[in-house]
Amino acid sequence: MTPSDYVLRDLEVPPPVIDVPDDYLHADQSLWSWFVTTDHKRIGILYLVSITGFFILGSIAAGLVRLSLVVPDGEIFTNDVYNRLFTLHGVIMVWFFLVPSIPNTLGNFLLPLMIGAKDLAFPRLNLLSWYIFMGASLFTVFVMVWGGVDTGWTFYTPLSTQYSNGWVLAAVFGVIMVGFSSILTGLNFVVTTHKLRAPGMTWFRLPLFVWGNYATSLILVLATPVLTIAMILLFVERAFGLAIFDPDHGGDPVLFQHLFWFYSHPVVYVMVLPGMGVMSELVTAFAYKKIFGYKFIAFSSLGIAAIGFFVWGHHMFYNGESPYAGLTFSLMSFIVAVPSAIKVYNWAATIYKGEIRLDTPMLYAMGWIGLFVIGGVTGLMLASTALDGHVHDTYFVVAHFHYIMVGATVVAFLGGIHFWWPKITGRMYSEPWGRVSALLMFIGFNMTFLPQYVLGYLGMPRRYHVYPPAFQPLNVLSSAGAVVLAAAYIFPMVYLIYSLWYGERAGPNPWEAKGLEWTVPSPPPKHNFETIPTVDFEPYDYPNVIPEA
Amino acid sequence: MSTTTVGIKLEEQFESEQQQRETAKLGMWTFLATELLLFSGMFISALVIRTLHPDSVTAVALHLKFWIGATNTAVLILSSFCMSVAIESSRLGLQRIMVRAMLLTAALGVLFMCLKGYEYYRDYVEHMTPFLHWRRYELVGDPASRLFTDLYFIITGLHAIHLTIGIGLMLVMSWLASRAGFLQKHQNRIEIVGLYWHFIDLIWMIVFPTLYLLNR
Repeated sequence: MTPSDYVLRDLEVPPPVIDVPDDYLHADQSLWSWFVTTDHKRIGILYLVSITGFFILGSIAAGLVRLSLVVPDGEIFTNDVYNRLFTLHGVIMVWFFLVPSIPNTLGNFLLPLMIGAKDLAFPRLNLLSWYIFMGASLFTVFVMVWGGVDTGWTFYTPLSTQYSNGWVLAAVFGVIMVGFSSILTGLNFVVTTHKLRAPGMTWFRLPLFVWGNYATSLILVLATPVLTIAMILLFVERAFGLAIFDPDHGGDPVLFQHLFWFYSHPVVYVMVLPGMGVMSELVTAFAYKKIFGYKFIAFSSLGIAAIGFFVWGHHMFYNGESPYAGLTFSLMSFIVAVPSAIKVYNWAATIYKGEIRLDTPMLYAMGWIGLFVIGGVTGLMLASTALDGHVHDTYFVVAHFHYIMVGATVVAFLGGIHFWWPKITGRMYSEPWGRVSALLMFIGFNMTFLPQYVLGYLGMPRRYHVYPPAFQPLNVLSSAGAVVLAAAYIFPMVYLIYSLWYGERAGPNPWEAKGLEWTVPSPPPKHNFETIPTVDFEPYDYPNVIPEA
Repeated sequence: MSTTTVGIKLEEQFESEQQQRETAKLGMWTFLATELLLFSGMFISALVIRTLHPDSVTAVALHLKFWIGATNTAVLILSSFCMSVAIESSRLGLQRIMVRAMLLTAALGVLFMCLKGYEYYRDYVEHMTPFLHWRRYELVGDPASRLFTDLYFIITGLHAIHLTIGIGLMLVMSWLASRAGFLQKHQNRIEIVGLYWHFIDLIWMIVFPTLYLLNR
């Protein structure tokens, strides 16, 4: 050892400068900190992880249903198991995935960022909502897997009150409880949108995603309690013999259907309105152009929410509803299509002559518009009482609502996740894999559900697994499509998780998009904004504007 | 009696006291809207059953204890008055009056529950409990009357659950609010709890005519 080494060793070495990020992900890294967090961004992530889990479970049930339908004689599962499988699929997908899908993940994460707030109005209530959701959903899933429920997700009486031999009471209890979670989130969003907007963030400067979530939250707040009471009445009738719907005593089972659909039709708009909000963001960002008809899109969200409350009777055209009621509900169902169409035309006009970039989110958006139009137009067919007589309770209906619930909601969810992923995680995912998945989704989805339109039109009823052999080729095609669709779901799960560690770092605004959420670093700091911003710009002020006619 | 300054402690997500007050109030009103919709589902069911079986419903309505229901209505109106006194004195910083008014409100809530319990007992004695399968039902020759009797128990039962929650809230709040410095930090919580209490009373104002008065 030479003297100079000693000198070096004794030199005072300055401590290495570690660049500690102070974003919301790194603010406190312990696992416990996630379970007691009141940060809306972290709660959004908690929801994202949990609903992804439920989506996988619901998809497995769907896969087993499609497996059973490959053969016409229903040999693979017994009738009982088949009934339990499609009930499991329906209940999980509706209440534990679709309803919370976009609002509780992206909405939770983005709402305060988009309106320039530090958090939601009631952060602790937000966390409580997640705990109620987790408790109720895990309980219900356990009940449905362990005991089994065979009523379908609609729980129609008197099947559910008198004849079903499954664990109906426990499942109904779980559904009532998960409703409280919906109500709390909806309440939080309504109040936040009203009261926590930054200075200068007027109603007509709100991003359209916020408008979509606001309309959704109004529905959640006003419709969910009616489901709660319908389920309570069902519960006490089955459990304690407090007859309300019991036909033996002159009760009216159709009354249950009215109460049920008063919630369950508006809840379809809960699934699709946030998706429409995502679309408005994607279409402008990737056409790099100011949105066409901002106010029309904003008000059409409220229009859908309002009119959507007066269409529920179209589920009962052939269940003992009077023809006059049928006529009214048919008319209202046609009217509710108008604001949806307004949105689609406005998006088309926004894309027109834009600087279109076909990145992954935009591919999802384009696929979305196509699928939504098909789902919407077939909805109009079902809304006409005469045609509904032919296809009522057939696979035509199944295909229609999957075009809306999967084609619109799930595609928008994936498109939104891909769009805001760099903001949420600070990382970019693999663009080629993203594009492949978006295309695969479109192909797989159509392969699965287009044949079901044909099957339904030819007369295949829903909820039966024994069918005439003539229907087998189309059923096999549909099941094969489900395999493609499964790949389109698995790919993003793999490359998105991979990107968490190995993805390129994304800057604050990788898409050069407009909006307050893109002005903060990615991932955003714990309290979103160092100082609350003052908004003095119009929404979507992209350089390209509507071309003069 | 000391008049203290009243106010609220600012939570981190708010910019001003006024914003926090308005937010809390709107939150409670939104929640109360869900409560109204919850009860509406039962009111509409009551009207449907009434339309389907008008005679059976009248037969049941004649068995309901009108005077107990009417007394209970008066009790709740009085309790709402006490709650208003509590809210007004909380704004003025009159802590002791406020706490006593809240305790009186809770006591009137308990009185309502006692009368309600006695009414249920009378129903039991009169064989108006069709869901108890071991006990003969008074209107056994009129099966459709069961529907309205059952609904009567469900509606009043659910209202009683809400009122019990209200009494619990009132007791906890008056305990918390009796501490020194409460009104300087959390004055608006009294108003929020008050909104809930008034609304549960209001629900009863719809329950009473829907069940007891129509077709009587």
